[in-house]
Amino acid sequence: MDKPQEGKMGRRDFMKAVIAGVSGLIGAAIGLPAIAYVVGPALQKGTDEWIRLGSVNKVEVNIPTLFKTIIEKQTGWINAEEEFSVYVLTTNGRDFVVMSNICTHLGCRVRWIPDKDGFFCPCHNGVFAKDGNVVSGPPPRPLDRFESKVEDSVLFVKRG
Amino acid sequence: MFLNLVNWLDDRFGWRAIWEAIFLRKIPHVNWFYTLGSATLFLAILQGVTGILLTLYYVPTPDHAYDSVVYISTQLPAGWFIRGLHHWGASAMVVVTVAHLLRVFFYGAYKYPREATWITGVFLFLIVIGFGFTGYLLPWDQKAYWATTVGTQIAGVAPVVGDWMLRIARGGDELSAVTLARFFGTHIWVLPASLATLVFVHLYLVIRIGITAVPSREEE
Repeated sequence: MDKPQEGKMGRRDFMKAVIAGVSGLIGAAIGLPAIAYVVGPALQKGTDEWIRLGSVNKVEVNIPTLFKTIIEKQTGWINAEEEFSVYVLTTNGRDFVVMSNICTHLGCRVRWIPDKDGFFCPCHNGVFAKDGNVVSGPPPRPLDRFESKVEDSVLFVKRG
Repeated sequence: MFLNLVNWLDDRFGWRAIWEAIFLRKIPHVNWFYTLGSATLFLAILQGVTGILLTLYYVPTPDHAYDSVVYISTQLPAGWFIRGLHHWGASAMVVVTVAHLLRVFFYGAYKYPREATWITGVFLFLIVIGFGFTGYLLPWDQKAYWATTVGTQIAGVAPVVGDWMLRIARGGDELSAVTLARFFGTHIWVLPASLATLVFVHLYLVIRIGITAVPSREEE
């Protein structure tokens, strides 16, 4: 076997470099698409459409009222129906506040209990006032609010 | 610094000796046909990697299997690429495995002391065929469904045990959710586990015994 001269690349080192280079290329050709493939669905944003909730006439002043609606949603390969619930509060019968029923602590659903005058979360005893502010428990911030509009007494909401 | 770390690891793992045994072993002067085994191993690893990626989205139930495959191919970034590699890699796998087997056969490389290498290789070939047969059903389209109907029916014409084999393959009288689930389980668990085990033994034997020289007429 011929010995490499000083400062020159020998046959063995050349082959090593070629093998490493080709292996790297193959790795990248599969690895990079694989990353896109794995994170792909996580990058998709939800729709930004107005969701029709229903007539505002059923909302009584100063009483949080539950609105439920079914949303059709394409998740992966399944056309799923998802129930979307919000609480609507009005203090004057004209302006409406639409609040999420999702606890800001860790995502459980809160319920309005009229007798106790608050939203209660069953998971870790988070309590919110009727305007959504935290009364007690671990939630770090008030209930989230949605952008909303009223057209012909029908309430619409935009999911943020 | 880097060399220190490498030496520190080698002191504990002894990987350098393993590296030398695998890659720096002495081999006779051979030709390009001797790369077919490595090519088969490369394809097997490629099928493993792309197969694992496909299981992130594929679901083996009759009501969603096809939809999940369409989702992979059309909705996901590079999904067509990953699935394409797995699809074409499967065909390449069979072709290259057979070529490897023929090389060993025609060079007489299966003879003493390499019989065990040959026998594990034959079982590996059967496993590859099993991969092809079970994987073909998974897209759950018309071609998959009828190919498996025919394929299992062929098992059914074997004398005495035929009907019994057909029912076991299908998990009942007809192709159903049970068939799809068991083909999937076989494809991603049973066969890969068997393949990995046998490849390990096969490679151990190749390295321990060494490979044959190209046969020649000269007496040496």
